[in-house]
Amino acid sequence: MNVNYSTFAVAVCCIVLINQPVKAQVNSGESVPDVTRTIALTNAHVIQSPGQIQEQSNVIIRDGLIVAVGPDAAIPFDAIEISADSLTVYAGFIDGLSHTGIPQPRQQPEQERPDDPAFPPNELAGILPHRDVRGLLDPKDKRIASMRESGFTAAHVVPRGRMLPGLGAIILLGGDTPNEMVYRGETSLYAQLSGARRMYPGTDMAVIAKLRQLYRESERRHRVEQLYSENPTGLERPRYDPVHYAMFPVLEGNRPIYFQTDDVLDLHRVLSVQEELGFPAVLTGLSQSFDAIDKLKSANLPLLLTLELPKELRKDKKEPPTDSTKATPTDAPVALPEVMHLDYDPDLRVTSFTDIAIEKENLEARRHMAYKTHVSNAATLEAEGLSFGFSTGGASPSDLLTNVRKMVDEGLSETAALAALTTTPAQILGLTSSMGTVEVGKMGNLVVTKGSIFDEDGEIQYVFVDGRKYDVEPPKKSSGGGGESGANPVGTWSLTISSPDGEIAGTLTISGSDDDWSGTLIVEVDPEAAPLEYIAMTDNVLTFSFNAGGFGTISSSLTLDADSMNGSFDVPNVGPVSVSGTRTSGPEKSTQFYD
Amino acid sequence: MKLKTFFLVALLSVAINSAAQEIPTGDLLVRNATVLTITNGTLENTDVLIQDGIITAVGEQLSASQDVPVIDATGMYVMPGIIDAHSHIGISNVNESSAPVTAQVSVGDVLNPYSIAIYRALAGGVTSSHVMHGSANVIGGQNETIKHRWGLLDPDELRMAGAPRTIKFALGENPTRVHGRGNNKRPASRMGVEYVLRETFAKAQRYQEAWAQYEENAKTNPRAIPPAYNSQLEVMANILSGDILIHCHSYRADEILMLLGVLEDFGVDQITLQHVNEGFKIAPELAEFGATASVFADWWGYKFEVYYSTAYNAAILTRNGVLTSINSDSGELNRHLYHEAAKSQKYGDLSDDEALALITINPAIQLGIGDRIGSIEVGKEGDLAIFDRHPLSVYAINQKTVVDGIVYFDVETDTDDMRLIVDPESTVDTVVLHSHDDTHQCLYEGSLDLYDFLESN
Amino acid sequence: MMSIFYSLLIAVTLLFPPSLEKTDTVTALTNARIVTVTQGTIESGTILIQDGKIIQIGMNVDIPEDARVIDLAGLSVYPGMIDSGTQMGLIEVGSLPETRDASELCDLSPQMKALTAVNPNGVAIPVTRVSGVTTVLTVPSGGMLPGQAALINLHGYTPQQMFAGFEGVILRFPATGRRGRFDSRSEEEVKKAADEAMKKLNDTWDSAELHNRIDSTYQTRPEDGRKPEYVPSMEALRDVIRGEQTLIIQVNAANDILAAIEWVQARDIDRVLFSGLAEGWRVADKIAETGIPCLVGPVLSIPTRQSDRFDKAYKNAGLMHAAGVKIALRSDDTANARNLPYHAGFATAYGLPIEEALRAVTINPAEIFGVSDRLGSLEVGKEATFFVSDGDPFETATTIHHVFIAGYEIPMESRHTRLYEEFLQRSPGLHKHGQD
Repeated sequence: MNVNYSTFAVAVCCIVLINQPVKAQVNSGESVPDVTRTIALTNAHVIQSPGQIQEQSNVIIRDGLIVAVGPDAAIPFDAIEISADSLTVYAGFIDGLSHTGIPQPRQQPEQERPDDPAFPPNELAGILPHRDVRGLLDPKDKRIASMRESGFTAAHVVPRGRMLPGLGAIILLGGDTPNEMVYRGETSLYAQLSGARRMYPGTDMAVIAKLRQLYRESERRHRVEQLYSENPTGLERPRYDPVHYAMFPVLEGNRPIYFQTDDVLDLHRVLSVQEELGFPAVLTGLSQSFDAIDKLKSANLPLLLTLELPKELRKDKKEPPTDSTKATPTDAPVALPEVMHLDYDPDLRVTSFTDIAIEKENLEARRHMAYKTHVSNAATLEAEGLSFGFSTGGASPSDLLTNVRKMVDEGLSETAALAALTTTPAQILGLTSSMGTVEVGKMGNLVVTKGSIFDEDGEIQYVFVDGRKYDVEPPKKSSGGGGESGANPVGTWSLTISSPDGEIAGTLTISGSDDDWSGTLIVEVDPEAAPLEYIAMTDNVLTFSFNAGGFGTISSSLTLDADSMNGSFDVPNVGPVSVSGTRTSGPEKSTQFYD
Repeated sequence: MKLKTFFLVALLSVAINSAAQEIPTGDLLVRNATVLTITNGTLENTDVLIQDGIITAVGEQLSASQDVPVIDATGMYVMPGIIDAHSHIGISNVNESSAPVTAQVSVGDVLNPYSIAIYRALAGGVTSSHVMHGSANVIGGQNETIKHRWGLLDPDELRMAGAPRTIKFALGENPTRVHGRGNNKRPASRMGVEYVLRETFAKAQRYQEAWAQYEENAKTNPRAIPPAYNSQLEVMANILSGDILIHCHSYRADEILMLLGVLEDFGVDQITLQHVNEGFKIAPELAEFGATASVFADWWGYKFEVYYSTAYNAAILTRNGVLTSINSDSGELNRHLYHEAAKSQKYGDLSDDEALALITINPAIQLGIGDRIGSIEVGKEGDLAIFDRHPLSVYAINQKTVVDGIVYFDVETDTDDMRLIVDPESTVDTVVLHSHDDTHQCLYEGSLDLYDFLESN
Repeated sequence: MMSIFYSLLIAVTLLFPPSLEKTDTVTALTNARIVTVTQGTIESGTILIQDGKIIQIGMNVDIPEDARVIDLAGLSVYPGMIDSGTQMGLIEVGSLPETRDASELCDLSPQMKALTAVNPNGVAIPVTRVSGVTTVLTVPSGGMLPGQAALINLHGYTPQQMFAGFEGVILRFPATGRRGRFDSRSEEEVKKAADEAMKKLNDTWDSAELHNRIDSTYQTRPEDGRKPEYVPSMEALRDVIRGEQTLIIQVNAANDILAAIEWVQARDIDRVLFSGLAEGWRVADKIAETGIPCLVGPVLSIPTRQSDRFDKAYKNAGLMHAAGVKIALRSDDTANARNLPYHAGFATAYGLPIEEALRAVTINPAEIFGVSDRLGSLEVGKEATFFVSDGDPFETATTIHHVFIAGYEIPMESRHTRLYEEFLQRSPGLHKHGQD
């Protein structure tokens, strides 16, 4: 992780090229060369901006720009004409914040231990406000295509990391090289309440304290730098350092901090520290903002709401059973009234074993209400007059539209939903002059659908990015998610063992094949490799145990999902301790991101 | 205290904001109770009137306007809301264990008003908790004094606005284990602990001097360069100036005497010793210094530095003139602090008032809020616990807990499920099985730290 | 370093050896309120003890002339309290592995005997007994089958002298509950882990049953069979399978309790106890149907679910009793097993009738452990194991004045009392030894 990012960033900045001719797709080998950059969508139902509709209109795109919109817009001689009789045209969606285009590193950042965990180097501690995301872009990241297939044409992307992962950029979700993708750089500083592992700052409270220190000292250095630039005579030369200097645009109000909030507690904490330090901020995540509405109103900050929703349990689904006389397949939706009474009795008192069934129903009803509250979070924000854009961070691309529809079902207006996908993120990100609406002069970023995007049957047909057309395959009807068949645990895994006061790194190595596995575990605090016993792989769950000396036998259960694993170590006398891991090498077949 | 004009405004803004917060307060008339005032004896058939969250009258046959809610407490015992001087409830982080000195962090930044432990404490009559940073570091993080206003969702509404700032220190096994043996960094011994303290205080003095000099220069020189900002030394300087109270996790007599020596040398004269299992051995020295003690009723034996303990500690300290409180340090014990206090009658025959003072006025004084809570007196805040029997009886059950004149717990009307937030993805019968070890933070810090175990192998 | 520590320990124990004033002559405890537990309460009566046993109890008892007489006017005598779950003698200092002998390394070690590792000089022993807790079950931990718990009296020079006549094999039943605050496994993972543990348990039991069959065959017809392999863990389970040894199943979550009931029935285990039962109240009717006795506690603990009423742990014992379950209480503690009476007091405050709470720390565990011929009540012929208090032993204001264990009068001192005596008024006080 010791790449010199600043040098790299400067290099990238110099070559921001947006109106490059579209190249033939390199990787598909046989694609037919393009002969024109003019496209005419004819006779379409055009949603120019949220609430503003043009019937039976043509949309003309030329050289990457929208050049005409309207019933009378003439179709140029060189246009490829696409009949859009029964189709709807929306502005391309803009993702308010995600890591799209920045694949999860296969190689974990070096688990180097600092000499002194009290004073680790900034790189190890996750304090990289000067790291430019443009240096990290990978056009082959699968998420780019899958986001595009959900109608997203541009995204505000930020590096992965911990407390201050780096500088964000706006990218277009098309293009073959990083440079082609970049629309604008250094748009934002990304921040999260995410501590370093076993070094300072390790906890949320330390991240907040570190931010205070960094901010206050940056203020001081900024002032010293000003004094010096006014007149250096008699003043000791201020020393350059990339971390504090990267904060200067923030202090000057020119670079907002996009602060991630995963739950309502994060939200309060970020609002407090923002109010205290006064930096320009955009709040992202906000999945439990329903519990902090008043505070959000008085803070009056731009909001980017995540499109991630709680997992929908079978009993939360609203569809009636197909035929109640037949045995219901396990994953088929079941009507709610059949599963439980929805009436939540807030006064229920459980006096003895006789009330257990009622208690269970009551708690289930309350859980269901909590599910509804989460799904209607967007509607709540709208009803409270808080405008927001959507961000896709955290959500799986295949869930994006489904989740928007769920939010609409729970009361979010379609206008607000569309605004959250288009105009509001454009506003927040400073993109209104080029993106967010279907208007003359804007970039040719469009979504063309059969049916309304908010209908369950609505299907995306084409997506245009920068005037370039992408056909969208109808979604495969298996919305089951991953569906990995027979996960393979073989390889070397970098583990993080979460003890409440910090994380311990470990390396897990598994070899062999079905029913003949072997492996070892090394934890950073003990260089001796522990051999694993009772290794078993059932479906996608890896279990094993190992002897940790006087500490006893630790048994472990880890669920694999491609190259990541999650689960726990069951430590005698301590209890389970959660463990997560990423595969750092092998097996060959799951090399997803690099070929 | 004229340091850092440069940063002053921003640093104060937090305090101002929380002070401006509208904390709801209530009116309440508690009728015909046996009132355990703590500071003024026991009053039979007495009423307590609270208006706008403040006790305005204590006496017989009080009158109040029609709209003041009334609790008929005939046959019941009313005591001041219990105060837990050592707790870790209602916070998301306990230890920032990466460094031997982390004065700059504060658990007040990670309050969690959704924690059910707050409600459970409330059910045990506890109205305030001193929620503390853990004991991994010689100089740990800052603590927060909270009131148990269950149901208010803004973390700021938990804070007891105006309560003095406090900070956690820790001596002995925990910091030497975490840093010395864990990271090969000082301190690895009680000798090292002393020098971590001395060096940090000395640096803070230098820091104060550097800023004072800058302030002086800045008067005449507009181009004066401020010294580097150091949030940790800012906090240490606030300790030196008496604006932050130290609460020091400590067990052994020798290490406590060491601490007193260091504080004396740096002119710090207020100290509350936490746990202080060997406090009984040096009770005369503690009394002479004016140090106060916050102890367990009977916890001992979980690590070597509490092996030579006695449950008579609270009584010995009290009899030797050391202001003493009994704390929980646990999400289990804190629900029956009245019972923990009662153990001081088994172990040392404290009087009822002395025993109850251990969990009311004494911890209030240790937290610098003895003028606001901890006894039932006119002018104090309306924080009460109402028991069906004398609270020193093992059979006593708390009936109602009042904070700021508002009933936040009512054994009659509260439902079973008092959660403020529900995980939409969890099944309803998620069971967490707690062991004693698990609920006991200091045990946890002492022996159940995972990497500590790994390291010890 | 550790050797210094050990020599310290030894020094301390040599300074304060257990006192063994066994009374060959008769001791008469007179004018006492006698709470027999099983035969009512005598408001003012006499107990005669000799050779460690109670030889007479009553209002009108002739006191032999040479008897030692202890006048207990105003005081009450109760049978010694029995804590049905501790690690007494196995753990000296919680955080020091060198002083912990409660766990072996394997998951399957039912042959390990807690009694082997009981240190009669453990400092917690006198601390506990002067509070009226005279007898405890001391329980090994770690793994699925951690070993055999032992019932011990808190007095004696050797583990064998302390042994109170009961041992039982501990089974930690596969748990679907989360263990502790930091258990962040998904529900599937929790379930899966429990399923796997269940499979391991069943595999183990299958083997044990097979081992038992081989052994039985060999015993009856040595000429036909083969001598079974030497597998000590299987031999320990064989005694359980044959109904010669009690199985103590530690189980807490409601669903796990139901699973344990099913398992016990499927395996047809005769002598079985449940221990823990944090959620016993939820399935108390099902437990009552089986008649399996339960060692319940700790009472002073927090509810198992966030949605539970705050007092569910306090109420658990009372609700189980009300449903017809036979209960004994346990502190699940070691250093503070002395708080057993307060666990009983809280259970009483929250619904367990006080007589039943007293039974749950005296005669019930004695019956459950099969030692009611010796312990658990004040009756002629039983061991003279009791304590004398000036009031309700569940109340903190009450003082325990005397403790007898099997006729030995226990000195009413412990490290805690001795430090109190030494330091209440320390001498020298301030400023002695020439230092200012």
